[in-house]
Amino acid sequence: MAEWFVSMFSPTYGATIVYMLQSTEYQPLAYLQWFWRVKNFHSVAYRRSLDKTKAARLLLADMMVGMVVQIVAGIVCIVRGQVNRDLLLSWFGIWLVFSYPIIWAHLVVVPLVLGRLFVIGPRERRQIKASRTIFAKHPGVTIAVAGSYGKTSMKELLLTVLSEGKVVAATPANKNVASSHAIFAARLTGKEDVLIIEYGEGKPGDVDRFASTTAPDIGIITGLAPAHLDHYPNLQAAGKDIFSLADYLHGKDVYVNAESEAAKEFLQPSYVPYSESVVADWKIRNIKVDYDGTTFELHKGKRVIRLKSGLLGRHQVGPLALAAVLAMKLGLSDKQVTSGIAKTQPYEHRMQPRNVHGAWIIDDTYNGNIDGIRAGLQLLQDLPAQRKTYVTPGLVDQGVETEAVHIKMGELITRAHPDTVVLMQNSVTSYIRQGLEAGGFGGVVRIEEHPLEFYTNLEHFLARGDLVVMQNDWTDNYA
Amino acid sequence: MKTVAVIFGSRSTEHDVSIVTALSSIIKPLELSGRFAVEAVYIAKDGAWYWDNKLKDIALYQSGGIEEFMRKAPKVHLLFDDGLTLVKSSQFAGRKMYKKIDLVFPATHGTHGEDGELMSILEMANVPYVGCGPEASVIAMDKVLAKQVTQADGIPTTPWIWFSADELSKTPSAVLAKIKGLKYPLFVKPAHLGSSIGITRVTEEAQLMNALEVAAHYDDRIIVEQGVSNLVEVTVPIIGNTELTTAYVEQPLAKSDEFFDFETKYMQGGKKGGKAGAKSGESGSQGYSKIPAEIPKDMYEESEELARAVYKSIGCSGIARVDLLIDSMAKKVYFNEVNPLPGGLYAHNWRQKGIGNVSLVEKLVDLAEERHAERKRFHTSFSTNYLKQF
Repeated sequence: MAEWFVSMFSPTYGATIVYMLQSTEYQPLAYLQWFWRVKNFHSVAYRRSLDKTKAARLLLADMMVGMVVQIVAGIVCIVRGQVNRDLLLSWFGIWLVFSYPIIWAHLVVVPLVLGRLFVIGPRERRQIKASRTIFAKHPGVTIAVAGSYGKTSMKELLLTVLSEGKVVAATPANKNVASSHAIFAARLTGKEDVLIIEYGEGKPGDVDRFASTTAPDIGIITGLAPAHLDHYPNLQAAGKDIFSLADYLHGKDVYVNAESEAAKEFLQPSYVPYSESVVADWKIRNIKVDYDGTTFELHKGKRVIRLKSGLLGRHQVGPLALAAVLAMKLGLSDKQVTSGIAKTQPYEHRMQPRNVHGAWIIDDTYNGNIDGIRAGLQLLQDLPAQRKTYVTPGLVDQGVETEAVHIKMGELITRAHPDTVVLMQNSVTSYIRQGLEAGGFGGVVRIEEHPLEFYTNLEHFLARGDLVVMQNDWTDNYA
Repeated sequence: MKTVAVIFGSRSTEHDVSIVTALSSIIKPLELSGRFAVEAVYIAKDGAWYWDNKLKDIALYQSGGIEEFMRKAPKVHLLFDDGLTLVKSSQFAGRKMYKKIDLVFPATHGTHGEDGELMSILEMANVPYVGCGPEASVIAMDKVLAKQVTQADGIPTTPWIWFSADELSKTPSAVLAKIKGLKYPLFVKPAHLGSSIGITRVTEEAQLMNALEVAAHYDDRIIVEQGVSNLVEVTVPIIGNTELTTAYVEQPLAKSDEFFDFETKYMQGGKKGGKAGAKSGESGSQGYSKIPAEIPKDMYEESEELARAVYKSIGCSGIARVDLLIDSMAKKVYFNEVNPLPGGLYAHNWRQKGIGNVSLVEKLVDLAEERHAERKRFHTSFSTNYLKQF
């Protein structure tokens, strides 16, 4: 408590507050929850520092001015209280002087809330309304991608493959909410053959709203797993929201990842499942995974298409095959499909391989769900290596499922038989260890107190023949 | 958690190399292992000892801040109390700071450290330490002694002679006459220095005196060795006490008319030797090696065997690196020299062999403890009534 209080009077406190706001994407609730969780404001920014954007500088300047004014007011009150022998005024002055860090840490949220209510909110609503018309009139085929995970990868994959024969536009990076869709719509020329739109669900009803605005022709559901469960009452509710995309399409042209355990209960006969064994009427055979990528064959009757992708892992085969099948459905030739699949490469921090001194590191630190963990552990098993190490801090936003998910994770890790497991010391470490013990893990378990120190110096642990799979990484606001 | 003191720097021409070895190859991996608390002990160029956490930061040396640090920081005293304790002034109210050391990891290269002086102090303190003992270090760091010892064990070397710097200055003609028995090219070396400092390759008699004077500038003993025809140079890193483990036989990539001087090894990233010949991802830490060496299998195995024999003959323990010369036409392997504390621990080679930096330092610490425990078995006291009779 003393440490918490004293650290608020540091000269860098203002910058720390703005950093926290920035890291939580200026979400007042997430910021305030973090603020009241911090034990020492000196130990907040480990992974990065304040990005001094215009907004950040403005907020910081406002806050600093406010703090100085409050301190001066406090001193004036103390002095006047002493001169006039007004004890109440003196105490009020002391309160002003010592309360400024807490007061301004909360007051700084006010312009954000007001701005969202009176400026940004109305502007976004206008943009979204306009985008509804643009999407409705657009002559291209619109593909919507929804799911708890794998959306961005699926979208990028489709973009790469379909671009071999079509003019394609896709929502950028992970811009996947209504306001981003509206900005995307405003930039369309109307000459695109295909639009690919990612749906980032955040709260109940989101996906249904996105669908009614963007009017998709084809829906892809990449999977369902505990994620953002702090905003949904349970996994069932999240699933219901995600599958509202299928409802919008009346179950037609809906492709669902059949390897997602949690999605299975939502499957309907009219949906088209995709997996590492089948997509629509195509069968998948001869999957081979190596450090330079994944190869497989698509079979339909006597027709065979051999495909090679730079993406790593068996779990990539289903999405790759779906992209190939959709491409053929939209009129691309076998040659274009083969060429498109060959151009797919790992995305940053998503099963991205790196060779260091003859050791392989698979960076999957953007992964944040149990199905992704399963895929990473499968890759750990599939790839040849002399020593295998698995690194994870666990998952965030698992809500009431937190304990169960992490015990399960420990059991899954055990089944992958790594030689060493490296965990980061945090609120879920004990659950993962529980799972490891339950599974009878016989290897080495290392618990790292300082994740960033470990990641930065990973090369010191490595030697030729090592394979390290790193899954997920907690940002400062979760640590 | 055990406390390990890493001692580096010292009064040596390889002072700067030692700093890099300590900071990048020893201190960081030891800390990352999670098993040890690491204390950095720096011996300045004037021989003063300092102990401080700030000494772990390479920027302190690169920026020149070390001079300012040394002006203000208290020097270290060593306390021998059936072990080693570091003592320094806390610079507060006359109090002293004490730190009991469980194990020492020497990281000094060359004179006043790698040559056995530091190891002798550690033996006196009765503290476990990494690497060769004082006797092996003295022999290894004296190229003359090393040749004499290994020759006595029947290990082949190229023809060589030695003389003192004093002999050279007083009777140069006698020295030149001794050298006449050797065939050119010759290698003129100071007997005690490492990292190729003061070494000259001499191809004709006209260059000889200058080379001898250069060597005499660095050392009081000079060795002149006959070069090997069809030369392939290789080096074999080894760890172990009684059970030895060899890393890959490594082949530096110098052209036939060159050798690895200090500039090539540490300052140019091996440019002289040319990186082009190195296999992708397999070049050494200084970028000038083929790992493993591209030599015939029988030569490769003979190199490993000879390196082990040298290691045992000299009495090395913990870690060392044995340099060999191969006549590729005659298919003969000769002992060249041995380095009891290879720069950077030759971690680049061990990594290729499957031992990462952290594992390497952990193994070396384990070996140090194993040897210390073994030596403790021997009695160092013997009860007599000699004093009563006196």
